[in-house]
Amino acid sequence: MVHDAPLQHVTGANGPGKLIGTSEQPLLDLQGLSIRFDGAPKDVNVVDDVSFSVGKGKTLCLVGESGCGKSVTALALMGLLPTPPARIVAGSAMFEGKDLLSLDEHERADMRGDRMAMIFQEPMTSLNPAFTIGDQIAEGIVRHRKVSKAEAWERALEMLRKVRIPAPEKRLKAYPHEMSGGMRQRVMIAMALANDPQLLIADEPTTALDVTIQAQILTLVRRLQEETGTSMIMITHDLGVVAEVADEVAVMYAGRVVETGPVEAIFEDPQHPYTIGLMGSVPSLGRRQGRLATIRGSVPPPELMPKGCRFTPRCPFSDQHCANDPPPLGEIAPGHRARCWYAPLEVKRGEAA
Amino acid sequence: MSAAAPRNDVILEGIDLKKHFGGGGLLSTPTVVRAVDGVSLAVQRGETFAIVGESGCGKSTLGRLLLRLIEATSGDVRYEGQSILSLKPNDVRRLRRELQIIFQDPFASLNPRMNVGDIVGEPIWLHGLAKGSERRDRVAELLNTVGLRAAHADRYPHEFSGGQRQRIGIARALAGDPKLIIGDEPVSALDVSIQAQIINLLEDLKERFGLTLVIVAHDLAVIRHMSDRVAVMYLGQIMELSETDALFDNPLHPYTQALLAAIPVPSPSSRQPKVLLQGDIPSPASPPSGCRFHTRCPHARPVCSQQTPALEATPEGRRVACHFWREIQGAGAGSITAPPPSPALAKRLELYRTWRERQDNAVAPSL
Repeated sequence: MVHDAPLQHVTGANGPGKLIGTSEQPLLDLQGLSIRFDGAPKDVNVVDDVSFSVGKGKTLCLVGESGCGKSVTALALMGLLPTPPARIVAGSAMFEGKDLLSLDEHERADMRGDRMAMIFQEPMTSLNPAFTIGDQIAEGIVRHRKVSKAEAWERALEMLRKVRIPAPEKRLKAYPHEMSGGMRQRVMIAMALANDPQLLIADEPTTALDVTIQAQILTLVRRLQEETGTSMIMITHDLGVVAEVADEVAVMYAGRVVETGPVEAIFEDPQHPYTIGLMGSVPSLGRRQGRLATIRGSVPPPELMPKGCRFTPRCPFSDQHCANDPPPLGEIAPGHRARCWYAPLEVKRGEAA
Repeated sequence: MSAAAPRNDVILEGIDLKKHFGGGGLLSTPTVVRAVDGVSLAVQRGETFAIVGESGCGKSTLGRLLLRLIEATSGDVRYEGQSILSLKPNDVRRLRRELQIIFQDPFASLNPRMNVGDIVGEPIWLHGLAKGSERRDRVAELLNTVGLRAAHADRYPHEFSGGQRQRIGIARALAGDPKLIIGDEPVSALDVSIQAQIINLLEDLKERFGLTLVIVAHDLAVIRHMSDRVAVMYLGQIMELSETDALFDNPLHPYTQALLAAIPVPSPSSRQPKVLLQGDIPSPASPPSGCRFHTRCPHARPVCSQQTPALEATPEGRRVACHFWREIQGAGAGSITAPPPSPALAKRLELYRTWRERQDNAVAPSL
């Protein structure tokens, strides 16, 4: 927060302030979110000063590895963070004129499943095995709309058609265990979209699925998004998925956003050493090009987290400066920011040394 | 197996292997799951052979059959030309030394009550390879080999991260001086950056110890990177078996084409609508008649549901189980185009590699 310029407006010295992000008025504007877990060392927030915005009808991908704080961020937005142990220590999330982080429990419950909805990685554990698919979709509709049970079931049927489940009338009366993983994920999507939410948060929605089923679900999500204009935050660790669906990307490492920008910029002009290392770690689908580049070691535990840039111990470019002073999320190009003292690397870490 | 195979130094061979689960028992329903249903393949010495397929295709079962970790319903497995299904217990023990396995889940495959020294040292003790301080030295050496420290021997599995645990599993697999290692999804539970470390480690070890690797996996990018030859499985049978580059450049079987088309390509500029496979994988308890893929195949014709296609050899020495592969291959479907990295990315990756090497040389590689 302190060392961050406002994310929305880039006020160039010459020329008018240009809007970055995705549209004039973002649907969701998250600023300076910090979350602390009870018992963690002082000053080591599990999510630290995370800011991003999502435009109307756009998709933001949060990318990062286990423990980088991407799911915790999503849960905080949904008001699903277990407190204790997690505590929001700073930040605001403006969504339709309200700050999501300061709503009371009742307002949150009204919001969830109506204006914003979430789908999870493992559809089997998010569905209740004791109720039929129809009951579970209708429940969410009855909770937020003044409709009869019959009307809610009608809407549930319509949703199953929308997510292209074969024989939807029959499936309404089916139980989750009678369906395959891909079908269950379709049900989850139907449930999430039943009330026409403005924002859908998808937490690794295809990670548990086979590649041919994953392709079906990604295509479905994209088509539904075009039809409904829903904005989406997709959380994933799969760079391929990011390239397929994202408009904007935020790369997270150890609780901080290390790089953010339009998807083309992230893939074609990556700036942060972590982003570059990640891309070098993924085997290419083309002919083999020698050994994979790797990132040394693994994410340090909270008690060993460096004071400065959290990537320091693993970064090939790091020095004492990095270890002591946290770099700001500096602007590289309009809308493209990287949290690195030495970006762009070829200029500041080029031939020398 | 195939006359056109470039070399013919087969280390491990499966012949018409079948594994059917269920169907027995007085009260159980007579459902038989044909997990592996008539698979023949030969692994050449020194190669990396990949078995790929979606969940339920029988790839893990096949891996276990090849090591005789489960008993085959019918068929034969030959190691160094000798059937391993009729071995006596003593010979099986020798076999266990030479054929090893690395499991997917490093959290479930290590005994939480044994320390790392015991986990890695157990095979050494079992096979009577070394005793006392000699064994401790050997354990320390193995831990160093896989990028861990000798001091880690006194710790317990829960103290390690996923990547480190996978290294422990690899050290244990190496302990008996194996000839062949089967990796059952060895990197799929790991984060991308850790995955790359383990892939490189496996390749280094293969080189250093002259190992043969059999990789069972679902991630096609990992397979393309690591393997020399690939067998594509679907519902218990091999659909296509080919050299890796040939398979990715020109997939012959419609299922292989569909699999490749489904991979998300990590390049936002080459987004394009895809021809997608419809429907789910049928249950292996009641596989479709004829060609098992015909229910989802865009090229299926009446004959496909009646006759099971043989795994026939193509002129280039590949094998494909499809009645119509000759006609389909020209359809232009499938072959995968991965655009080269952008100039900026290529430049920075180069820089990254240079500095990364410097980083490794500056300090003794930790972890």
